[in-house]
Amino acid sequence: MSAPLSPLIHLIDDDEAVRAGLALLIGTVGLRVQTWGDPLAFVSQFDREGIGAIVLDVRMPGISGLAVLDSLMAQGVDQPVIMLTGHGTVDLCRRAFKAGAAEFLEKPVNDELLLETLQGCVRQHVKTRQRNQVDRQASTRYAQLSRREREVLGLILSGLSNKEMGRALQVSPRTVETHRANLFAKLEAESLAQLIRQYATLADQDDGAT
Amino acid sequence: MPATFKKHDWPWLVAWILASLLGALWLGNSELARLNEAFSADVRIAHRLLSQRVAQQEAVLATLALLGGTEDTLRPEQRLPALFPQILSVQRRDHDAAWAESPLRAAEAESRRLGRAVLASVDLQRGRYQLLQAAQPSSFAMLIDIRSMVPWSEWPMAPDTSAVQLTLSHAGQSMRLQGGGVTPQDARGWRFRLDKALAADSQPFVLSAEQQVSWSQLPWAWMAGCALVVAGTLLAARSLVNQRREHHRAQELLRLGQVARLNTLGELAAGMAHELNQPLTAVLANTQAASRLLTEDSPDLPPIRAALNQAVVQARRAAEVVARLRRAVERPQLGNQLQALELRAVVDQTLYLLEPELKRLRVSVSTTSTDPSLRVLAEPVALEQIIHNLLMNALQALEEVPATNRQLQVALHSDADQGRLSLCDNGPGIPVEVLPRIFEPFFTTRTGGLGLGLSLCETLATGMGGALTARNRASGGAEFCLSLPLAPTASRAT
Repeated sequence: MSAPLSPLIHLIDDDEAVRAGLALLIGTVGLRVQTWGDPLAFVSQFDREGIGAIVLDVRMPGISGLAVLDSLMAQGVDQPVIMLTGHGTVDLCRRAFKAGAAEFLEKPVNDELLLETLQGCVRQHVKTRQRNQVDRQASTRYAQLSRREREVLGLILSGLSNKEMGRALQVSPRTVETHRANLFAKLEAESLAQLIRQYATLADQDDGAT
Repeated sequence: MPATFKKHDWPWLVAWILASLLGALWLGNSELARLNEAFSADVRIAHRLLSQRVAQQEAVLATLALLGGTEDTLRPEQRLPALFPQILSVQRRDHDAAWAESPLRAAEAESRRLGRAVLASVDLQRGRYQLLQAAQPSSFAMLIDIRSMVPWSEWPMAPDTSAVQLTLSHAGQSMRLQGGGVTPQDARGWRFRLDKALAADSQPFVLSAEQQVSWSQLPWAWMAGCALVVAGTLLAARSLVNQRREHHRAQELLRLGQVARLNTLGELAAGMAHELNQPLTAVLANTQAASRLLTEDSPDLPPIRAALNQAVVQARRAAEVVARLRRAVERPQLGNQLQALELRAVVDQTLYLLEPELKRLRVSVSTTSTDPSLRVLAEPVALEQIIHNLLMNALQALEEVPATNRQLQVALHSDADQGRLSLCDNGPGIPVEVLPRIFEPFFTTRTGGLGLGLSLCETLATGMGGALTARNRASGGAEFCLSLPLAPTASRAT
């Protein structure tokens, strides 16, 4: 996956003056901005892999910001979405949050509030991506384990000693020891504690699935 | 009530037809039942009278047979025709003699066998029959005339004019006793019929009665009257229902109007917010960006200048939005649409529209006016709107007073050149600090209020050359006073 040098903010508003003004303002804190006048073009073309956030106007001709938000969420877009509106009602606000908006701001927007929110969202997005990456690596490694090794991992996580595991699997403790060394190598775990922290959830899910 | 026939009048028409038909049916049926009752009663009486007569004749003959055996020379039977007009003659057969005619001989044998009088011969063509009683030593035979037998003096019907046809029949012969208007082929209408044998075994004549009732004998006048009464009742009911429907519709329209106004206002506010917020967002973003750029150590001036120029352009755009909005909702000049209006009528109309609200809040309204035909110069809709708004205002104030004591006084009077409408409530009055600002736009003490109602009223009043003032009454509550120029007296005549 590509790792962009700096986060990219997507700004969607049908009004050019608003786009230009907000882009200039966001640019002052060193964030890159890509502006979109057409919400549909944005939905079909923007870079889903990049780190950043989305600033979305609620009231646009043709399609409402809420509908755009819904389609982004349905597609599993993970960039945080900040909704902007000139006429915010409680109902609109509630619907936006329910649909998965990260923040809801009223126009005309205060610069500090907008910029802080954007930076917070970007930080949040970076963290989410890192966590997801660790999770993905873990599951790739876990997938390399043989069936016997997964059984051994399950018993290790249950807190059994090598001897007890040998008895449970009806093999010698020496064989258990070999499996144990193999799975530590495959999972790139350096300690029992790290093994438990990274793989307990995966092994549990696997147990539940089989 | 309009005479036009509308679609929802159909059920009324059907109801009228049905009810009229039912009424006519009932009336016709009762009339037929009454006629039939009278017919049966008359026929029963006639039957009884005739039965009495034939029984009497039988008794006379039996008495004669009993007494006649004595060998006297008085010959009482010869005196009978003088006593009974129907007895034309009496024949006598002494014990050593024989009947001259053979029917009499056969009848004598029959009478002897049955032990009672029998018919010897019947000639209904001529209205006569012979009754014979065999006895010892002498037998008697009477010749009876049927027409004379009928007791016309006691008869229940007028024989010449009665509609009932009476026939006496026996063994294939028949004679008409009474005419009636019955023709066999007249099948239109109804026919009553009654057949009864006379109550005497010796003279078994059958009395047949018939009466023809034609359509024209039905109580048409009553039926028409019934239809008219039903029509009147239904028209009254329809008018009541329509009136209620109209009232309901008027209220519905009023409510719709209010909702529509609120929706329009909401849409206007949303549109205005968007239209203004876009340029304001751009202005704010540009100036804030410029200000941020200026804090840098060696600021790059061209982008800052561009941002500020953009801010100026966008501020002008915002101003243009406001100007456009003003032009869109600008009111036409009221001054040239004034007309003479009866103030009392406008007040009553507005009170009528608010009637449900007044009832709900149990407000007692008193309207007084020194000059009932007080006419002012005003624009009708504007005047109605002012009065409506003032009334609504008063009602809101009265909601804070116990329901048992909510009073609203509307007073109309006129000065030299001004008509005045004063509206007093006994609500909490207007707070002193609010009073000077009460007609300011967007000034309101109510949460959720726009603060435009009274401001609009004042603008409308001054636009029509009048004035609107507010004050607190010494006795508590608020008074609003609307003054408008009087209509010229010349137009009062129109």
